[in-house]
Amino acid sequence: MLRALFEMVEAYPSSVAIRESLNAYPILLTSHVIGMCVFAGLVMMMDFRLAGFGNKSTSITDVQGRLFPWQMVGLAVSIVTGVLLVYGQPMRFYPNFYFWTKNLLIALAGLNIWYFHTKTYQTVEQWNHDPRPPFAARLAGVVSIVLWSAIIIIGRMIAYPGLVPQWWLDLGLDA
Amino acid sequence: MEEAAFSLQPFFLWMQEHPFSQVMLDNTWAQPIVQVMHLVALSVFAGAVLIVDLRLLGVGVVKTPLAKVADEAMPWMVWAIVALAITGTPSLMSLAMKQYFSPFFWWKMELLVLGLIFTFTIRRRITHTDESKLGPVWPKVAGMFSIAVWTGVAIPARLIGLFS
Repeated sequence: MLRALFEMVEAYPSSVAIRESLNAYPILLTSHVIGMCVFAGLVMMMDFRLAGFGNKSTSITDVQGRLFPWQMVGLAVSIVTGVLLVYGQPMRFYPNFYFWTKNLLIALAGLNIWYFHTKTYQTVEQWNHDPRPPFAARLAGVVSIVLWSAIIIIGRMIAYPGLVPQWWLDLGLDA
Repeated sequence: MEEAAFSLQPFFLWMQEHPFSQVMLDNTWAQPIVQVMHLVALSVFAGAVLIVDLRLLGVGVVKTPLAKVADEAMPWMVWAIVALAITGTPSLMSLAMKQYFSPFFWWKMELLVLGLIFTFTIRRRITHTDESKLGPVWPKVAGMFSIAVWTGVAIPARLIGLFS
């Protein structure tokens, strides 16, 4: 079913247009990296504060609130360019081990954000200025650093579709 | 081609023919590993630069004194630069002749030198000057210039690998 969806998109004239354009791929990929720099860079600056690693002169709510709009700018650029990259070459990504692993990790990062904001962050006023926030906040920061680093690493590995476990290749998705 | 009075080509040839380059090229995982680490280091670098640039532009963590923001971002920036250099060198060496003949590589390197000089001289001085003496204009000019230069490094850097 998923395969049918990817094959259907691949046949769209707009998908063909992106795929056959000489400039679309370099522009999208480069913009994806710029979006990543803004998003992941500023998320990590916030995570360093949460984890107690740095930026300690700034309150948690300030690091979170003042960087948030720019994180969203970076995220928006990353999502739009990322979706278009897949849209232009669906059947390149469909059989790619790292593409699916990256999406799984993004979902996990989303869960971490959701849990942090609905639970841990509720009591922020009590530890807003602590150079070393409580364990749950530090854990959320470290988990976020690990996950986003992994997403960047796995994302870059999409370019090496052959360097994957043999069992994945045995699935024969690229047939 | 006419021979230039000064050429870096012998140096790039030396890097290309260095045994280390051969080790890099012979190992399937070597190139991807340095590439992914370069990208993680780049993200930390971008964050450490941007948190200060946004503060300079007046749209970041404005309640914290400028010098504090800059001082606290400094170690992350410096270590990220070290990691970028360490992970960039194997790529440069093993693909030296490709880099040498890529206009994007030279575009990247020229802006990189400009960015480093600017960051550790003018930008550093501005972030450590009393903000009331800086006025509203110069911090914004410095922040914009920093973002522009580093974006100008990142764009050709990505393009080296796409056009060869």
